[in-house]
Amino acid sequence: MARSSSLLYLDGVSVSFDGFKALNELSLTIAPGEMRAIIGPNGAGKTTMMDVITGKTRPDSGEVFFNGTVDLTGEDEASIAELGIGRKFQKPTVFESHTVWDNLELALKAPRGPFATLFHVISGGEKKRVEYLLDLIRLGSKRHELAANLSHGQKQWLEIGMLLAQDPKLLLVDEPAAGMTDAETAETAELLKDIANDHSVVVVEHDMVFVRSLGVKVTVLHEGSVLAEGSLDHVSADERVVEVYLGR
Amino acid sequence: MMSSFLFRAMDARAGIFLAIMAAVIVLVPAGNLLMPEGSTFHVPNYAVTLMGKYLTYALLALAVDLVWGYCGILSLGHAAFFALGGYAMGMYLMRQIGTRGVYGDPILPDFMVFLNWGELPWYWYGFDMFWFAALMVLLVPGVLAFVFGWFAFRSRVTGVYLSIITQALTYALLLAFFRNDMGFGGNNGLTDFKDILGFDIQADTTRAGLFAASGLALVVCFLICRAITRSKLGKVLVAVRDAESRTRFLGYRVEHYKLFVWTLSAMMAGIAGALYVPQVGIINPGEFAPANSIEVVIWVAVGGRGTLVGAVLGAVLVNFAKTWFTAALPDIWLFALGGLFVVVTLFLPKGIVGTLSQGWTALRQRKVSEDFEAGSDQPPSQAPQSPASPANVSPKKSASTVPADADPQPAE
Amino acid sequence: MSLMRSFLLLFSLAASLLAAPALAQSDPETLRPLINELANGKYSETEKQIGALVATGDPQVAPALEALSDGDLYVRKADGEVFIIKKAGKAYALIDPLTLETAGEAAKREMDKIKVNNKLRRVIRSALGSLTLMAPDPTVRMAAAEAVFKAKDPDSIEALDAAIAAEADDGVRKKMEEARAAAVLNSDMDEAAKLQAVSTLGTMGNRDALSLLIAVQSSSEGALRDAATSEITKIEKSIAAWDAAQNIWYGLSLGSVLLLAAIGLAITFGVMGVINMAHGEMVMIGAYVTFVVQEFIRSSAPGLFEYSLFIALPLAFLTSGLVGVAIERGVIRWLYGRPLETLLATWGISLVLQQAVRSIFGPTNREVGNPDWMSGAFEIGQMTITYNRMWIIVFAMLVFAGLMLVLKKTPFGLYTRAVTQNRRMAASMGIRTPWIDAFTFGLGSGIAGIAGVALSQIDNVSPNLGQGYIIDSFMVVVFGGVGNLWGTLVGAMTLGVVNKFLEPYAGAVLGKIFVLVFIILFIQKRPRGLFALKGRAVEA
Repeated sequence: MARSSSLLYLDGVSVSFDGFKALNELSLTIAPGEMRAIIGPNGAGKTTMMDVITGKTRPDSGEVFFNGTVDLTGEDEASIAELGIGRKFQKPTVFESHTVWDNLELALKAPRGPFATLFHVISGGEKKRVEYLLDLIRLGSKRHELAANLSHGQKQWLEIGMLLAQDPKLLLVDEPAAGMTDAETAETAELLKDIANDHSVVVVEHDMVFVRSLGVKVTVLHEGSVLAEGSLDHVSADERVVEVYLGR
Repeated sequence: MMSSFLFRAMDARAGIFLAIMAAVIVLVPAGNLLMPEGSTFHVPNYAVTLMGKYLTYALLALAVDLVWGYCGILSLGHAAFFALGGYAMGMYLMRQIGTRGVYGDPILPDFMVFLNWGELPWYWYGFDMFWFAALMVLLVPGVLAFVFGWFAFRSRVTGVYLSIITQALTYALLLAFFRNDMGFGGNNGLTDFKDILGFDIQADTTRAGLFAASGLALVVCFLICRAITRSKLGKVLVAVRDAESRTRFLGYRVEHYKLFVWTLSAMMAGIAGALYVPQVGIINPGEFAPANSIEVVIWVAVGGRGTLVGAVLGAVLVNFAKTWFTAALPDIWLFALGGLFVVVTLFLPKGIVGTLSQGWTALRQRKVSEDFEAGSDQPPSQAPQSPASPANVSPKKSASTVPADADPQPAE
Repeated sequence: MSLMRSFLLLFSLAASLLAAPALAQSDPETLRPLINELANGKYSETEKQIGALVATGDPQVAPALEALSDGDLYVRKADGEVFIIKKAGKAYALIDPLTLETAGEAAKREMDKIKVNNKLRRVIRSALGSLTLMAPDPTVRMAAAEAVFKAKDPDSIEALDAAIAAEADDGVRKKMEEARAAAVLNSDMDEAAKLQAVSTLGTMGNRDALSLLIAVQSSSEGALRDAATSEITKIEKSIAAWDAAQNIWYGLSLGSVLLLAAIGLAITFGVMGVINMAHGEMVMIGAYVTFVVQEFIRSSAPGLFEYSLFIALPLAFLTSGLVGVAIERGVIRWLYGRPLETLLATWGISLVLQQAVRSIFGPTNREVGNPDWMSGAFEIGQMTITYNRMWIIVFAMLVFAGLMLVLKKTPFGLYTRAVTQNRRMAASMGIRTPWIDAFTFGLGSGIAGIAGVALSQIDNVSPNLGQGYIIDSFMVVVFGGVGNLWGTLVGAMTLGVVNKFLEPYAGAVLGKIFVLVFIILFIQKRPRGLFALKGRAVEA
């Protein structure tokens, strides 16, 4: 796919730490509105890829473009977030000493400067938006709870809610189903599918059942580059993928 | 906009604090000036100065609490900003001496005459005017903090690294101010002040006035801190404290937020120093000692960080204890202070105010859930858990039991 | 009588002229008349008489001349005999100027002082130099050559020539040749001789030679001036090189002190991630252990004093190490994962330890002696090297090497590295992680203790000893890169050398400030230090 028509465009991206190549000539393209699942064994470079996209790690070489025109390698985390890329961490990270409501309010799309927040007064529209998200992530009854007191699954959901509050064009979701019960996993898959209706989503996941339930195109990473791409059935039939996963 | 900003500063706790402060600001000077000596209500002169000193310390503690309690920046160098503010005020007071110095030089302070300096160094110009000195009290610590913070926060120096370089900062200033050719009186510092704004600095009324000024400055800064910490900006600060990287990925420029409170906090420390100097009558490089900065941190820890009121309470309590100990059992004081550091970090991580308010919240919650069980239709999760005072309720991590992940980690 | 005297005089002169190069010790009685002659006449005559004494070439006359110069040479009015006197109450104790035996007492009024002025003193000084040039003891001859070098008296050239011819020791002869060159340049000898002298001074190559050559350069012209100029540039270059070498030496010395102070911290902070603000106090405890050991040796086994440091080392290691283990078990282990709290608690501990030491040993400095092998100095070229600094550098390197060995080659080191890299995994493999924590902390503290033994040799032993090192130590560890002992080594040495190179330009205090500011800026640039390991991106 051409760079101009892509939402996210990675080409030949390499990152190494002290000689260890975490990413090796990685190329990946996400179309607007697409939902993509990324799988791969430990150390395949999934998290490093997220770090490169969100500005946490600078690539040694390669191109990273957002919306076809914006070069992400020159931007920091905050401006990339403002461009419209939201990220959920592997380990759920919410603001534990804030309430659920405050967590969402902080994530809402609004001016991010210190003086803007200093004199900020929450508007009716913002309140409605928070209420809507609370409903969506099913934490309405916990709105005044401290985030620290939520269960693991609830924290995952809260983080997804915060992601949505940012109203990003692209969501990077790192292992959303980790540590969830089967029922929760299924609900999370439904939630992500809903979200994918009006956002582009990249999901990194280990859980094959979960990936299957998403029913989207899958990219397999191995040793920092793309090993295979296609539907889940297609990649599971690929011998190299089987070898990587089962060590044969 | 402004009114809602200030309005946010008020609630019951702030109200109690303000009432007490108002009483102190009125009653102490009144007790000193109006009550005859010998009366039970007479406040002796030394007590006015002493309490005035406590108030400036409380202001310094407030400044430290703003950055440490809310933003997680443990500064071990706030005494530097305090001392810089103090020096700015001291320079004004030196220039006010005029021909009344030992050498009677109308322009040069005594120590410069003594060192055979021909003329006033350029950086002493303007300090004969109070407004200029007052501006410098804010600007010198503010600009230093801004420059330091701009470098430090932009390159993401955090945690203990930041603490250590703030300590190095104050240590470097300590060494610099000890030098005679810096032009700040070297070892002896600035002293022998005569008057301030035309009032005799030794007079009872001036002392009472300085006391009241310190109290007012504390109240104003308290309200500013309060308004900040309860605004959305305050919530962002706490977010930075708890999960800096998450805050960044939400699109907040963390370094700007840090720089804002850091500079503001340094200015408050500068004001505290400026009010401290005329009351104790001297400023010397000893104020820059790294030990002083660390002591401020323990005042905040004792009172309860992230509570503002706690910082003030802690500063007054610890300094009162210090005054008492150093008079009664001078050898014991360092043992007591050292022990205080250990005991507070081990057993009272939330400090006095934090622990009390946590207990209070827990009590109320239990009552609400009892009501619920007794048939009330109010679900317990709707319990008024005072979402507006987020910072005093620390995350699980600081509970007194050791959490599972509380293992030593190699410093990153 | 007077006939007899002049005969003797002639005889002794003749004898001395013959005997001088052979370094003969003549009978004191032949010299006595010459000495007694000093009492007669005015300054100008005294000068001649001094010349006559010197001409004997006999070192025995030296004490008398020295006494004359010091104003202690008196003549007895009654018989014209000359004595060196020592004031003894109201009377003078008389000392024979030749045999140096006591010769009774005399009242003040019985004696007359032999007057001397500054011109005479100068004459005596250069004369003494050339006299002792022939002394049997090489160190005396060396001192004499140096004195002559300083005097630059052309009259001593002959004596020098004689001495150079007779000299057996190379070093002394070299010095004498240099002295001769200095004297030649001051004389009215021909240009060839002076050119020769200039090149001699050029090979000498130190500051003294430099100042002499500069004098030559400004007072001469033609070939001599050119020769002097070229030698001057040569010397200046070599002096600059030696200065740099000396600075590096001082820098390494400071660096090894920093290394000693910081290396324990590199373990507790770098490896375990524990901020121990009481680290400086561990150093202080080590220094006080040295003090106690020396006190004990002084009172019960003075013969062991030379070995006191070796006795103190293991004791200091154990004492500080045990205090460290106690701190870890009592306080720090409750605070793992909370570095800022650890910082505060250990600061509190440092206050308690300081006050405890102050209560036991008093607030003032305690005297810790240097064993003989730690005192004194020697020279390499134009560098002075003191033994205590040298041994501390050696010691710091040994400690560093030992620590590396312990961490890399012993099971304990393996466990420590395992625990710091992956605590849970280490625990599940059966390593008792709490024990490893305690021992690692004890090791870091114990090393601080032996650093204290070394620092007690160059610093004041007081309760504040440790505070002076804590900030520097943190700077070293942070600058070098946390968790990397090699980084600590390089960091310490770099900071030491940079500090010493800044000092001449900026002064000691300002130099230190510059270094602090430099580190503050450096940490901004590389927050993980000089030798930081790049890791996979850290989770939020």
